[in-house]
Formats: sequence, structure tokens, C-alpha cells
Amino acid sequence: MAANYWASTQRRHWQFSRESLNEVRQQLEDEEKTIVQQYPLPDRRLLSILFNQLLVKLGKRLNVKQQALATAQIYVRRFYSRVEIRRTNPYLVLATAFYLACKMEECPQHIRSVVAEARNAWPEYIASDVSKLGECEFYLISEMNSQLIVHHPYRTLHEIQDKLKMAQEDISLAWSIINDHYLTDLPLLVAPHVIAVTAIFLAVTLKPTQTGLQAAASTVAGLSSATSGANDSIGTVSGVPNTQQKKVQYLVSWLAEGEIDIKAVVECSQEIISLYDVWEQYNEKTCKEQIARFVKARGLDK
Amino acid sequence: MNPSNSLGGDINPQQNPYLPLTGPPDNSQAQAQQQPAIPPHLKHQPTRSSNLKRQITDQLLAPIDILEYDRPSKKSKYPGLVSEGMDKRHPSSFQQLEKLGEGTYATVFKGRNRQTGELVALKEIHLDSEEGTPSTAIREISLMKELKHENIVSLHDVIHTENKLMLVFEYMDKDLKKYMDSRNSGGQLDYVTIKSFMHQLLQGIAFCHDNRVLHRDLKPQNLLINNKGQLKLADFGLARAFGIPVNTFSNEVVTLWYRAPDVLLGSRTYNTSIDIWSAGCIMAEMYTGRPLFPGTTNEDQLQKIFRIMGTPSERSWPGISQFPEYKSNFHVYATQDLRMFLPQIDQVGLDLISRMLQLRPEMRIGALEALGHLWFRDLGTLRAQQAQAQAQQQQFGGMGGMPPPGGYGYNSSMV
Repeated sequence: MAANYWASTQRRHWQFSRESLNEVRQQLEDEEKTIVQQYPLPDRRLLSILFNQLLVKLGKRLNVKQQALATAQIYVRRFYSRVEIRRTNPYLVLATAFYLACKMEECPQHIRSVVAEARNAWPEYIASDVSKLGECEFYLISEMNSQLIVHHPYRTLHEIQDKLKMAQEDISLAWSIINDHYLTDLPLLVAPHVIAVTAIFLAVTLKPTQTGLQAAASTVAGLSSATSGANDSIGTVSGVPNTQQKKVQYLVSWLAEGEIDIKAVVECSQEIISLYDVWEQYNEKTCKEQIARFVKARGLDK
Repeated sequence: MNPSNSLGGDINPQQNPYLPLTGPPDNSQAQAQQQPAIPPHLKHQPTRSSNLKRQITDQLLAPIDILEYDRPSKKSKYPGLVSEGMDKRHPSSFQQLEKLGEGTYATVFKGRNRQTGELVALKEIHLDSEEGTPSTAIREISLMKELKHENIVSLHDVIHTENKLMLVFEYMDKDLKKYMDSRNSGGQLDYVTIKSFMHQLLQGIAFCHDNRVLHRDLKPQNLLINNKGQLKLADFGLARAFGIPVNTFSNEVVTLWYRAPDVLLGSRTYNTSIDIWSAGCIMAEMYTGRPLFPGTTNEDQLQKIFRIMGTPSERSWPGISQFPEYKSNFHVYATQDLRMFLPQIDQVGLDLISRMLQLRPEMRIGALEALGHLWFRDLGTLRAQQAQAQAQQQQFGGMGGMPPPGGYGYNSSMV
């Protein structure tokens, strides 16, 4: 977490525009046309859900803090913006990203215990030879140009939660939404503080109704129109109960004062809401099968 | 769907150990107002394959003093893990010269860039099959990638080969220890040099602290000097980003002689003030040529400090008895006047060093505040005077060697 974000390698080298990110990925796929066609993969977000669940599993077994898991997910995403996934063994990449993230976030795990746990969880994909993980770590570091320090939105959340007089339940929810944003491309697209604000915004608007998605969606639409200047229109957004209106109003005026890029917050909100939509289609078995096909066929697990 | 059910919903930020510790305020919010929210996208570096080919040719033609590295192999045991992007600069683009030193996880050589002739320091890191890339190396590399400042040694390049990692740093002539030893003065430095070095040291520290990085291992051996009189902080292997929220810090860090008393007492929640203590010790050493507190063990180190600074008590340092290494039977020393140990120091300088060598961490001056201390006010004037004197000396020396163009006209007119 060294350095301020604005001068960081994260901002200078690992923050893309949507177009440039697509371009980079397209280029990777174009270079590997045959295998890309041969081995279709599910939506990237569905793969990310699987990766996240696999990492959470490792994290729970080894009792590793959330921030290390977040960093690991960023490493995986960065790595796969440089290397075509079908040329790798994703299980090994996940275990390695986890191992490296633990070192970076100062909760180091022994290489043997990571390999043992990974083998335990995915016996078909992880070899017992620990040097494979060390070797893979080396490539991860190299592909990421040794730019390993990651700024996370958790810090911003922590810093502004009191200013916003957030309720405990809202803070927890915002924290969870930040956890969820690692399943999207947002970490490669927007600054961490924008994510934090988005998470707070969604937490405050999602909370009131358990079917909060629609409410949130309409609030997002309302906020979107509010960017043109009519701040007070937000308070009257339908679907948000009265008790929440105050909170939302307070948040919106705070956002306006802080000159936070509201448009970016709106876009992030939409991205996260659409993640929850895509989640409905998630099927672990299909994802795993599709990965297994290219890993096995290409002997990447050896 | 409620996202808290999807994952991680059981994580309660309230009791969460990952939340930030207190540190300098994050200024990203303030800066957010001046900066575009979505920064310009990554610029792609052109592939260097033609470059690589040339380098490999170079290697084939090169004399035997080149580094005997394995070539970066495209055929990894992991097909697919090496991409075309691996075409990084090859070690053979540097000529290896003499060994400069050996650390715990690395060997440092002097080197020369074959293409530009530029001198560099090559830090060769050995990979450990039990640890992968050493954590210290990872920490150093990743921090150096973020910290770019004129008083911090700069990392030019990281070269990956099959089984080694080589860091290419800018070349510096000496470390402060060797610099002091090389001055036939018993290690003592002159007043202007001390002031200039202290200012640069504090600037480097201030930059680190401003970026939420603790160096944790400041000592003369880790301060590098070049022949332009610049001082730069090096060896960030023990540095840590203190913004990363963790419960405790390891208390096995700073080299004993420069280690702050709170760390010696077993504090695991130390902060930026530990680097300031080290800076104070280094300042004293530049005056005398000898370490101020040359302790041999943790206990002896504390005793050496107390003998000069006075043994602290619950009264002078509330809470001190709570430290793990605190002993109620510490030998009680009275506080000495620092001037007795630093006879050459002036009154203003004494005030500055006393503010840095405060036993209680919270009483120590901050790096930024120290830079604003009165002692540094005449630094610009002093430097100018010194430069002028040196220029004159050079001119004088030149005249001794050979007659200036036009002969000894001036002298002959004197005769």
C-alpha cells in the first residue's frame, strides 16, 4: 500500500479504459485463435466467480485475511490480461497468486502448506512438487513487471464510514460489495476510492428491501439524472422507503460536495448490479468442465 | 439477491484485523478532485524481440566476464506460462565488474551497461526452492517500483531469467560507512557535508513516510553516496508499507545500533518514528566517526542508550512498564548532556538531534518538521560557499600542474 494511489504503478500501468482492456484481450485471443475456438469459455464474470470461490476455499483453510484474497484476485486478473488463459493451468495460477498475495500482504504462508492445501482441494491439477509453484510465482511477478503493491477500496471505506455516519449494517454490506467487485473488471478500470463510494452508495440503497436490486437500479437511474444538477430529485426516487431517503440524500449531497465523479459511480453501480444478474446463471460444474477440457487436453496440469 | 450472501458476508469490518491502522491521512480523496477519475490507459511497451536478438548475439561475442546466466527460456516446464511478453532485457546486456557486497539474499556487483556504458549496481537474487522468490526481494522490488525520488536509489530494471532475478540499480560510488572511513579523519565529516547529508537523508525519509513506507533498517551501510555529493536511501528489503493493515509488526528488524528504544523494548506497533531515531544516530556518527550506541545485544543496546539519554521511568514515559522487554530493575542512569558526546556540534544542531533522539516515540520530531528546522536554514548558502571554494581549489591545483595558456604572464609581471 505504499505510495499514494495517484503516483502508483497501479494507476500508471494497471488502470485501463474499457476499450483498451478489450483491445488487449482481443489481441491475446487473436494470437491464439485455434485454441480459443477449440475451447470455448464461459463469461469472464462466471469464471471469476469460480476463481473467487476457489480462492476463498484456500483462504479459509489457511485462515488468511480478506485483503490477501483481494490482492490475489487482482493478480489473477492482471496476469490474464497478459497471458491467454488457455495456455495456463488456472488452478496453479490461483494457488500461486494466493501464495504471492500472502507474501505481499504480510501474512506469509509456507509454500508447502499452500501446495498441500491446493492439492487437497484440487488433486488433479496440482503437482506435489513445490518448485512448480515457485516457478509459477516467478512468471507471475515477471508478467506483472514486479508491480505488486495494490491499493484497495477497503481503506477508503474505513476512512469515510465515520464521516458519513454509516450504520454498522451498512458498513458490513459495503464491505461485502467491495469483496464482490473483484469478480468484475472494475479493479482494472476505476480508482479504488470510486469503488468504495459505489459500495457505500449501493449498501445504503440496497439495504432497505431484500429484493433491493430493482430499488438500487432505479436509484442508480435517479442518481444518473441527478448528475445534471438536480440533486433533490434523488430523494424522490421510487422504491426507496422514507427512512432510507434521508441516508441517500445525505450521501448524494456528500458526493456532490466532494466532487466525486458521479458518472463513474453510476457506471460502477451498474457493473456490480449486472454481476448479480449474471450470478443467476452461474453453474460451477460447467465452469470447471470447460477449464478441465483445455487443461487436460493440453497437458497443462503436468 | 443480497450480495452479503454471495460471499464474504460473514466478514465484519468492525472486528476486522485488516482495517487500516492509524497512519498519515490518505490524500487520495483530496487529489481525486484534481485528477481524472479514470486515468489514461496503459500504454503498451513495444516488444523488444529485435533488441533481444542483438543482446543474444552480444552475448555470443562477449568476453568471458559476462554473467553466466541461463537464457530466458520460452520453453518452460509450464507450457503457456511464459508469454511473448517475457522478452525482457537480458543479463548479458550488462558487463559484470567487481563484487560490491554480499547480503543475506543477494550478491551485489558493479556492472556496466554494454550499450550505453552507464555504470549500474547489479543485485543478483538467488531463488530458494523452499520459498520461491524471497519475500525480502519481493518487498524491495515492489516498493522500489513505487518510490521514485532523488534521495532514494532508483531501480532501473528487473531481469528475470530461468532461475535468477537480477535487479539493476543506479550506480552509487560508496555507502556512507565507507565514505566516512575513506576520509582520513577518523570517520568524522565536515560541518557542511553533515548538514547536506542529513538534509538529504531526511528528505528521503520524509518521502517514504509520506508514501506510507517505513524503511526500518537505516544505517550508514544503507545510505549510498555518489561523487556529486548526493545521498540516497537503499536496501528496502526490510521496508514495509505501513498502510497495509495488519495487527502487529515483526519486532526483529532494525540493525541493533540504530534501533529505536521502543523497538528494543519489544513494541510491535512502532511507526515512522523508528526511522527518525536511526537518522539521529547517524547524525551523531557523522560528527564523531563512531556509532553513538554500539550495543552488542538487545539488553546491552538499551543500556548504552539509557547511559546517555537517561533511564526512562513510568513518570518520564507513561506506559513504559507495559512493554514486553521492560525490566523494573533497569540500571538507573541520569540523563547526560549530549554535547559531551558531540563536542563539535553547534547549539542549533544539538537542538535538532535532541528532538530526533527522544526515547518516547511520540516525542520524536517528524521528518518533514525536521527538514523545516532552523539548523537547515543556511544550507543553501553553505553549499554555495563550498562549491565556490572547491572551484577555486581546482583552479589553483590546475595552475600547479601546468602553465595556464598564455604562460605565467601574471607571475612574470610580479617579478
